Amino acid sequence: MTTPGLTAVLCPQPPLLFRELGGLADPVAALRAACLATLRDTLAAGPDVVVVAGAADGPVDPGGRPDVRRWGTTGERTGPGLPLALGVGRRLLDDAGWTGPTELVGLDVDADGADLRELAAALAARPGRVLLLLLGEGSARRDPKGPGTLDERAFPYDGRLLTALRDGDAHALATLDPTLARDLMVLGRASLRLLGEVGLRADGPPAADVAYADDPFGVMYVVATWRW
Amino acid sequence: MAAAGAVVLAISGYSGVPRGVCPDLPDRSHRPGERPAGTVASVLKLGRGEFEDAALLVMAIVNRTRDSFYDHGATWEEERALDRVRQVVAEGADLVDIGGVKAGPGEVVDATEEIRRTAPFVARVRAEFPDLVVSVDTWRAEVAREVCAAGADLLNDAWGGHDAHLAEVAAATGSAIVCTHTNGATPRTPPHRPSYDDVVAAAIHDTVALAERAVSLGVARESVLIDPAHDFDKNTWHSLELTRRLDEMTATGWPVLVSLSNKDFVGETLDRPVGERLVGTLAATAVSAWHGARVYRVHEVAETRQVLDMVASIRGTRPPARVVRGLA
Repeated sequence: MTTPGLTAVLCPQPPLLFRELGGLADPVAALRAACLATLRDTLAAGPDVVVVAGAADGPVDPGGRPDVRRWGTTGERTGPGLPLALGVGRRLLDDAGWTGPTELVGLDVDADGADLRELAAALAARPGRVLLLLLGEGSARRDPKGPGTLDERAFPYDGRLLTALRDGDAHALATLDPTLARDLMVLGRASLRLLGEVGLRADGPPAADVAYADDPFGVMYVVATWRW
Repeated sequence: MAAAGAVVLAISGYSGVPRGVCPDLPDRSHRPGERPAGTVASVLKLGRGEFEDAALLVMAIVNRTRDSFYDHGATWEEERALDRVRQVVAEGADLVDIGGVKAGPGEVVDATEEIRRTAPFVARVRAEFPDLVVSVDTWRAEVAREVCAAGADLLNDAWGGHDAHLAEVAAATGSAIVCTHTNGATPRTPPHRPSYDDVVAAAIHDTVALAERAVSLGVARESVLIDPAHDFDKNTWHSLELTRRLDEMTATGWPVLVSLSNKDFVGETLDRPVGERLVGTLAATAVSAWHGARVYRVHEVAETRQVLDMVASIRGTRPPARVVRGLA
């Protein structure tokens, strides 16, 4: 069963959450505020460790940092840099003032159910107070102008996702259709399913809260918290 | 899973963002002090105005004349001139340059008349815009004294030290000064067959000498600008070369002011009369900005501001206004 004191936070992973990429004005100011308020609120409980989980396409440097230069700004490259999802998670924690122990977990974006179940069990078995920061978002095919072309199926898919997050419905998240998610450019689909698998191992339903849900640029961003 | 202790991030960012322009942009300078090639940046103190780092400044021309070549007396009347100040401030001008005498040959304006045209007007501008940096375009020390008393911050000595006492006024009043290369020309005299061993070397030599002299007289080092003075005792070839090699002038470390706006070298280069020289002016502005000039004396403020912002972002000293495409 899940350790009492496990808290999971879901944040989106657009490069724009690296503040310097947006330019003088912050195009995602409201999203950033919601992410940071949620993280500061959950970090205030004093977790023993923060586990950051998100999509990665290869091995993850455990002490790695994002290199924003990959996406823009000026100056020199600082290194290979973390994968986008983990880099955004790392930066959000920094921005929220977290200086405690942090672990990075890279997820194969198309991880099969068995792998996710194994990982969820390992997380559930951890002693101490764990904050799980998951990086993921809904469909990127909600707008004709992009990022993906419009796919009308994005709306019912994201609707089910949002309802599950609001209701603390772990079963609904764990069983999200992976094939449809790939078609709909749901880049955080592994994180969403992992949250479902973690929830299924809990003693009961979480106290669920959604702090932000909007698609200002055609991608469904959601900031959610599940506490047990 | 492996543990990773958090440390302070060091991410490539902007090393030259003007302070105060973007207060919420985190400072993630990768190599502090690093600047793009061709940039010589330093703090500028122009009277009540202080400008940081790589800020590119627009100086709007405000003529209190009946006969200036571009506006033909449009702001001769004081109310019209004040409207012009209001307009250029709204368009983003960082400073205004008030002039009472046409640069070229024209109506005779003695010091008394020049003071009458400029000093009370400086006081009115100062009263309405307490924080605006006000420059006065004059070569006369006695005019300089009056306009500084009325609140001017900067003396634009467009005739390059013709009156040796002008720099003393700047020192005595704590004003800033523009040191200009005119090759020793008499004020209001058009060029006639000027020739140079090396026009850029001459401009650097003379302006740096004037700048050092101003500092020796007591003008603050961060309050001295140098200006190659396009078209002043120069033909079009000379002005083009000054533009092409402006990086040599900025490499002196003295902040460079350029006055390109609608000038004859633009007109002759593109075969365009006054009134059709904006595009050429903006092209020269872009090249000058790339080479690191700091202050741009202009008629068209809004267009210049856009060009300077664009060049600054290409150089990497100004973040773009708002970036979303491909990053959401």
